[in-house]
Amino acid sequence: MNIGRFLASSITIAEMEARKIRHDSTELWTRIIQPALWLLVFGETLNTIRAMPSGNFSYIQFLTPGILAQSVLFISIFYGITVVWEKDVGILTKLLSTPSPRSSIVLGKSLAAGLRGIFQAIMIFALALIIGVKIRFDPLDIAGVFAVVILFAMCFSSFSMFLASYLKTRDRMMGIGQALTMPLFFASNAIYPIAIMPIWLQYISIANPLSYVVDAIRSMLLAGTYENLPVDILVLVIATVVFVTLASTTIKKLLE
Amino acid sequence: MILLYYTCNTCDNNDVFMNSTFDDHNIQEITAIEADHLTKVYRDNIRAVDEISFSVKQGEIFGLLGPNGAGKTTTIKMIITLTKANSGTLHVLGVDVFKSPETVREMLGYVPQSISVDTDLTAYENLLIFSKLSYVNKMERNERIRDALEYMDLSSRANDLVKRYSGGMMRRLEIAQALVNRPKILLLDEPSIGLDPSSKKQVWKNIKQLNQEFGVTILITTHDMSEADELCDRIAIMSEGKIAILGTPEELKRDVGGDIVTVNLASTPPIMTLPKEIGNVIHSDEKSIQILTTNGEEAIPLIADFFRGHEIKVESISINKANLDDVFMKYAKRRLGDEMYKATRRTRRDFVRRAR
Repeated sequence: MNIGRFLASSITIAEMEARKIRHDSTELWTRIIQPALWLLVFGETLNTIRAMPSGNFSYIQFLTPGILAQSVLFISIFYGITVVWEKDVGILTKLLSTPSPRSSIVLGKSLAAGLRGIFQAIMIFALALIIGVKIRFDPLDIAGVFAVVILFAMCFSSFSMFLASYLKTRDRMMGIGQALTMPLFFASNAIYPIAIMPIWLQYISIANPLSYVVDAIRSMLLAGTYENLPVDILVLVIATVVFVTLASTTIKKLLE
Repeated sequence: MILLYYTCNTCDNNDVFMNSTFDDHNIQEITAIEADHLTKVYRDNIRAVDEISFSVKQGEIFGLLGPNGAGKTTTIKMIITLTKANSGTLHVLGVDVFKSPETVREMLGYVPQSISVDTDLTAYENLLIFSKLSYVNKMERNERIRDALEYMDLSSRANDLVKRYSGGMMRRLEIAQALVNRPKILLLDEPSIGLDPSSKKQVWKNIKQLNQEFGVTILITTHDMSEADELCDRIAIMSEGKIAILGTPEELKRDVGGDIVTVNLASTPPIMTLPKEIGNVIHSDEKSIQILTTNGEEAIPLIADFFRGHEIKVESISINKANLDDVFMKYAKRRLGDEMYKATRRTRRDFVRRAR
């Protein structure tokens, strides 16, 4: 396989998505509602009653990275639905009949999910600014958060495409998406620290990629201490490579 | 010379050509598509394609004809590497489809049965994205896109979202894609399905132009006999996964052996045999009989006399000069009723599959 062509095709697929967003971005704007509610209602309330041991930070500071990760998780875990829809209208057939390698199509789609994730991150930063959540707006850290968001979106969108290869319908993808997001969310450090979980849940949260994502974002946005960062990113990179590879080999099944 | 042409179009896949087994003197003879005992069995043991062999010559328009479910689309999908054969071999311009799928896809253009352009993009963007995915040279890309839009009469609406297009315009856009990518072989799966007669004519004209002006080899599937007669140099009629007959439209028409005389009767006739010299009954129901004769005009008086002799009142007699419909009826061996049966069975299977 020619690496240059492979990357060019992946970027073209992402470009395709970007052009579609440019024509109609309604979906992106509606996606801000849910995280806004989490921060404004859930976050503000628990902030006032000080029920969570959130260390040196206020609860709403603690929660912001968690909600960012959660909203990116929502975008990516349902990404397979888009691909199933593209299969239903024949676009996927067309994409897979071009000379571009199939893995570049999958990688491109996951990059497109990353693009949506970036947009989400920008909106949550804006929201945090408006309601006065103190986060470190250091350019390098922000860039780091963007990188983590892209990787995370790639990881779970390719996982979603892998599932779609077997599930094949939008209804089933909705079902499995719902079934996965809540356990992933609650068995992570997104809304409370791992230390307060029961022991069995602590073990699960260690195996949950979302915990590493939240940890990475939190260390960049709040603490400014990076000792866990290499491990967080390594776990994320490995999971992404595994899922992109898996989805590349299975995506053809979606057409059968 | 031709070898040079191949290699420059598949720049980083030269090794494939080095390894393939054709030698210089028969390069000219190399077939566009060569299928040998190609078989595809689906999971529930349905032999969608059953040991078919055929070859498509360079520069021709080859038609795969057959009723729904005959295996035409499955055959095309095997060629474009969307599904894998269970056995048999398949070569596109000498390249093994199963061994080098990406090289093969590079030489092919494909217009699937359902509209496959992205309706959330503009026509220009569709052409741009798909030319990039097909690795059209950057220097030529924009010029080719402009030419293709011009050629397909879509220039004025190039920047409109495709969802505002009519069905005919979407089809033309898909053919424009083929123009931009300039494939050596173009696979068209039911290109005129769902189009009104004038759009259909327009699409036919474009297909012929692609073939004549750009020398593109075209494989087309259809169940529309007039389309096949209009476009194809050679035709293979498929039925239940097998090729029933293969030849030029003229050969096939000659093969049905003449004209069909349809006799409409006033009442249900008693059982009787028609004299051989008049012709053979190919179909009969309560009030009509279809007779295959070598010469319809000469047969009519004989037929009229025959029925008069049996005191059966004839309401009307019509001749149908041999056309591809008859060939289709003879070889596809299926009447409308069967077709509907098959269709319901297929929907049911889809339903079961979805529920699984």
